[in-house]
Amino acid sequence: MDNSRAVETTESPWSGAVSPFAISWQKLMMWVFIVTDALLFAGFLASYGFVRLASPQWPNRAEVFHLGFIGVMTFILISSSATMATAVSAARRANRTVAVRFLLLTILGGLCFLGMQAYEWTDLIQQGARLYTNPWGVPTFSASFFLITGFHGSHVLTGVIILAIVALRSARGRSTAEGVELCGLYWHFVDLVWVFIFTLFYLI
Amino acid sequence: MTKTLHEVGYGIYWSTWGLLLALTLLMLVTGYVSLPKGFVVLLLLASMLVKASLIGAHFMHLRFEKLTLVLTVAVGILATATFLFVLIAFDGIRILKLSLR
Repeated sequence: MDNSRAVETTESPWSGAVSPFAISWQKLMMWVFIVTDALLFAGFLASYGFVRLASPQWPNRAEVFHLGFIGVMTFILISSSATMATAVSAARRANRTVAVRFLLLTILGGLCFLGMQAYEWTDLIQQGARLYTNPWGVPTFSASFFLITGFHGSHVLTGVIILAIVALRSARGRSTAEGVELCGLYWHFVDLVWVFIFTLFYLI
Repeated sequence: MTKTLHEVGYGIYWSTWGLLLALTLLMLVTGYVSLPKGFVVLLLLASMLVKASLIGAHFMHLRFEKLTLVLTVAVGILATATFLFVLIAFDGIRILKLSLR
């Protein structure tokens, strides 16, 4: 038997014995989930792009939506992402009071966003928009709108629920900093998806 | 469990917030100024990608993570989404041409 194999002293993360991603499995799995969930929205947005390319005309968004209102919604979600990042940083520093305070602010932002989205939906529904028809001449327009913003809104709602649980647990000292961080990753993902929806559906 | 030991101050989050806000305002303003459509679309797409990168890098801490993770996420999402869209875009244009005939 040849025992004179040279020992590799490379520092490649793929050499074995350590995780190449250098993060906990919990964090890695949250990232894997984020990638799969992002592909869900990529599918919706790609199908919206397809439907839009195939339509000779498309409603003028400035006439259908109150774009300033949508801008405020975007601002609120971005701000809630900033408060979430602050909460995560505070949790890492074991500053429980600040972490919980900023978690609550994030929840407030999420609830405001949901309320505003519900208002927007109500306004459109009252004007006659449905999944299969709308007053603007292109049936797939409202179908795309309700589908994409509906799925995004349900992600925001789920995020708010998770945030509430994490805030309660943090207040009782029963959540680790990593728990807050994983929650933060999900919330930033929700904000990230909105950045794409806001640009591709409302502006372009 | 490997810990990422990077500690950043709170300042980076609020300066990122300011940048994101500025970009959002810029994107909204394009609807009120008369610029060539192609330029507006490019500007909006570029702003969207910059915003996404800022959120990913600073809020989600990808700036401090291993390149392996960053590439897994970036390629996993962006390349797949772009590939998906480009694949069906041709069919969309074909259907548009059919309906315009």
